[in-house]
Amino acid sequence: MSVVDSPATRRPNDPGRSQQHRAPGHAKPKRRSRESGRTPWLLALPALVLIAGLLGYPLVRMVVLSFQNMRLRELLSGRTPPWVGFDQYTKVLGDGVFWSVVGRTVAFTFVSVLISVLFGLGIALLMRRVSRGVRLFMVVAMMFVWALPQLVAAQIFRWMTDSDFGVVNYLIDKLPGVDYQNHSWFVNPWQGWSVITTLVVWAGIPFLAITLNAGLTQVPKELLEAATVDGATPWQALRNIILPILKPLIMIVTTLSVIWNFGLFTQAWVLRDGHPEPQFQTLATYSYTQAFGQSRYSLGSAIAVITVLLMLGVMIFYIRQMFRIGEVD
Amino acid sequence: MTTIAKTPSTTARSAGRPPEPKRDLKIATGLSHVALVAWALITAGPLLWVLLASFKSNTEIFLGKPFALPNEFSFSTYANAWSDAHIGRYFINSVFVVVISTAGTMLLGAMAAYVLARYKFPGNRAIYYLFVSGLAFPTFMALAPLFYILKGIGLLGSFTGLILVYIAYSLPFTIFFLAAFFKSLPYEIEEAATVDGASHVRKFFQIMMPMARSGLVSITIFNIVGQWNQYLLPVVIMSGPGADQKLLLTQGIAQISVSAGYQAEWSTLFAALVLTILPMIIVYAIFQRQIQAGLTAGAVK
Repeated sequence: MSVVDSPATRRPNDPGRSQQHRAPGHAKPKRRSRESGRTPWLLALPALVLIAGLLGYPLVRMVVLSFQNMRLRELLSGRTPPWVGFDQYTKVLGDGVFWSVVGRTVAFTFVSVLISVLFGLGIALLMRRVSRGVRLFMVVAMMFVWALPQLVAAQIFRWMTDSDFGVVNYLIDKLPGVDYQNHSWFVNPWQGWSVITTLVVWAGIPFLAITLNAGLTQVPKELLEAATVDGATPWQALRNIILPILKPLIMIVTTLSVIWNFGLFTQAWVLRDGHPEPQFQTLATYSYTQAFGQSRYSLGSAIAVITVLLMLGVMIFYIRQMFRIGEVD
Repeated sequence: MTTIAKTPSTTARSAGRPPEPKRDLKIATGLSHVALVAWALITAGPLLWVLLASFKSNTEIFLGKPFALPNEFSFSTYANAWSDAHIGRYFINSVFVVVISTAGTMLLGAMAAYVLARYKFPGNRAIYYLFVSGLAFPTFMALAPLFYILKGIGLLGSFTGLILVYIAYSLPFTIFFLAAFFKSLPYEIEEAATVDGASHVRKFFQIMMPMARSGLVSITIFNIVGQWNQYLLPVVIMSGPGADQKLLLTQGIAQISVSAGYQAEWSTLFAALVLTILPMIIVYAIFQRQIQAGLTAGAVK
């Protein structure tokens, strides 16, 4: 901190010094003004190069690939694959399987984000009411889950729902009159998807709750007290005071959750043992299986491009809002 | 689950009734506690189960008493995982990669975010949007082209390649949050430094970085967690000849769980799972205070 303070504190005490600095003529400010044109670029350049090279270029390549027909033969021989125009796209868009995957992914994203945000907000609100000790306990429990790699979390859930040795079957079987021994959770797609959704929500809530709880500390206490004195019910206080203040933060975390859950891959992949059945395919796993499993690299790319466009189409408004909030002008 | 769902409405109703406000408030607070503790148990339950299973032998795991204590607390499963299943090597690989790439992400991300937040120059907005639009793309989209690019420049299956990719994929989020953070910092001190003749680079490292400490710490944690969790990127990048020595922890776990089906080494898998969580617990223990402060500060913006 002393480093931070020293220039500011030195200045008023020692006015002669700064004048001396300016005295030797125009050379110094001039050099600096030229430098100020370049330095910002230099500081941003390394990040720019990395993103352009490893994130931007792959995306461009992906778009290009989707207009070609890259198969295993072209891949091995290194020849330029033939151009096929919009063929891959018409193939994908004309495929009923693709649309059912889209519907499934959208439905899953909607349900999982809705549940996570509602629970996250509820837990964040409850955390304001409890004592310090309990709150700390909560944060620690949530940090553990947050820090758990998706793969590990998915492995844990796979084991818990294992038909022969899973702890979930064991517990449900204990209920009177229920026979859940050797029950398989992934025969019925509804049950399978509720396992996947539970996993995603379980793993997603900590980030939401911790962030929203931090945001709640920004709601002025006096405002809430004044509202209570004026006879507002807690529900009114929530709707008219807390939510409006929290709105930008809720929007950011909701948008991020949608982006993350829309790209669901690892969880479905692991729970289905690397071979998701058709009813457990999401856009991400579908694109991946087409590209790498079936060696239809161009088809996979076309699916990926359509996925981005779909998401941007639905989300563009929110994403723009998020960026604008992030800018804080 | 039902307890949690019910509690907010019950608390709201009971707290809103005018008579006997004190007793009602107590009930409401009590219910909040019960609901939260129940939820914390649901949250932590699976982790406790894994911890128990990691000390058990294979036969005990299959005995059908998931919450029974193991016969003896031996660390032999851990030793097995560490050496026989090569988890030790993968663990060190993971730590190495994450340490370097998080440091790189923070350095490059902070520099870029600082410039974008505090300097006006042509192209500023365009670059900012270019950076943060990376947020909108799920990782799997770029996997296939990424594979060919790295193959083309000879970085496939190398730590250098993986680290660079980790940095590139962490930058959008880092820049998005840090730019907002740098904008919220006061301008006066920086101006004073300019008057005193500090260079841009010096201002950045000696004034802005220390001021932005809480924001930097919370995003660092976020990046450590995010990069430690990566699975898909290493699977694609760490392939090719000689890559089996350079696998990461998550890949090692996937490997055990595939081979465990044949060799029946499930206890090893659980021990490996615990070993994966361990470093995150240590990170959390060290930075606990800063995480709380940083998250709050980050949310103010």
